[in-house]
Amino acid sequence: MITVKDLKKNFEDTEVLKGISYEVGKGEKIVVVGPSGSGKSTFLRCLTLLEMPTSGKIFLEDQEITDPKTDINKIRQQMGMVFQHFNLFNNLTIMDNITLAPVKLGLMKKEEAKENALQLLNRVNLPEKADSYPAQLSGGQKQRIAIVRSLAMNPKVMLFDEPTSALDPEMVGEVLAVMKELAESGMTMIVVTHEMAFAKEVANKVLFVDQGIIMEENTPEEFFDHPKSPRLQDFLSRVL
Amino acid sequence: MTEWWADVVAKFVAAFITKDRWRLYLNGLGLTMEIAFFAGIIGIILGIIIALCRLSRSRNGGKTFLSVIAGIYIDVIRGTPSVLQLLIMWFIIMKNTTNSVLVASLAFGINSGAYVAEIFRAGILAVDPGQTEAGRSVGLSKSQTMLYIVLPQAIKNALPPICNEFITLIKETAIVGYVGLSDLTRVANQITSRTYEAFMPLIGAAVIYFVVIKILTMLLGILERRLRKSDNR
Repeated sequence: MITVKDLKKNFEDTEVLKGISYEVGKGEKIVVVGPSGSGKSTFLRCLTLLEMPTSGKIFLEDQEITDPKTDINKIRQQMGMVFQHFNLFNNLTIMDNITLAPVKLGLMKKEEAKENALQLLNRVNLPEKADSYPAQLSGGQKQRIAIVRSLAMNPKVMLFDEPTSALDPEMVGEVLAVMKELAESGMTMIVVTHEMAFAKEVANKVLFVDQGIIMEENTPEEFFDHPKSPRLQDFLSRVL
Repeated sequence: MTEWWADVVAKFVAAFITKDRWRLYLNGLGLTMEIAFFAGIIGIILGIIIALCRLSRSRNGGKTFLSVIAGIYIDVIRGTPSVLQLLIMWFIIMKNTTNSVLVASLAFGINSGAYVAEIFRAGILAVDPGQTEAGRSVGLSKSQTMLYIVLPQAIKNALPPICNEFITLIKETAIVGYVGLSDLTRVANQITSRTYEAFMPLIGAAVIYFVVIKILTMLLGILERRLRKSDNR
């Protein structure tokens, strides 16, 4: 579904990604872990060109995302992105947050989009917040809405950039629950996170990104129980 | 004491009552507000456009042609006296135009636009970049993201300094006397030269400006508080 070929990214003189190649299959749940500054967020952001790769190619199915002729807006409609800081549109109600893109992009009529949004809100148990503004919601609620906002576009894949890192501890569970349910529904997901328990439970594959490369990849069982590289062993000993 | 008081009253009557002179102040104030109003509208529209041009970036992150032009416009307007801009507009650029209010409004509007552009630029930059990222991530184009998400928040940020700019504008229109328009300041000055008495007309005009701007400030204060209330609903 997503193919990454020798992806490199420099910020000025700093080489953040030093050549990442990977293939994500349909329905796979990939969890990316690694120390801060390792490039895992940059990797995720490159996938939708929020960061422009310095070199390398990225494909969504058979469309080359990195081709300058590709309409990136069309690609992004198929790839949901959830941010660490939620980034709900502060000037819009929850309902408008969810329906803005489908309506303005001409994918749905207003009524249809609203109906769809209400169904999605029910799915995350927040239907009563439809007319609230983001400022009135808790962090966990905001993140669940942010997930719903992405889902409203019927994306082929969902990307999560440390979705629980900015949350109070008691709110992490409610967001992870939504993500688990999403995973069970068969969604293709790439998740950058520090939640090792989530990785163990939900992931098909866990990637260890360090120093700008994928240093190790494995099934969650092997990854956590028999880490091969010393750096991963060291990393796991500090986070587990 | 009574003599002094009688003198004050006589001067007041000469400055405001005789020959219905209060009408002149009123007409002057009307002209001042008319020019300020139209110039304010021109300034805000121009300001938003210029700010957007100024912030436009090409695909590789460099400045666009529009951005450079907008930068030059802001530099030139801020780098020259507004009296001079008015004179240039009046005697050179639009010397054949008979609608004097139009010429003055344009001159002040173009002047104000440069300052408003900088205010809006700051307002846009103050919106969290995450808002833009989120907008682009759901597939909205650059301009859709700007229009539906960033600009509404930027305008809210910019409102207090915009009000400030408008107040400055009202007072700055006092220089239209240079090109012979009878605004409030010029009326006061003319009456002074007719009655040979400066105190009443000048202080009177100052009081009128002050009261008008004070009322405006209070109205804007109410508006601002209402907007802020919607922030922490």
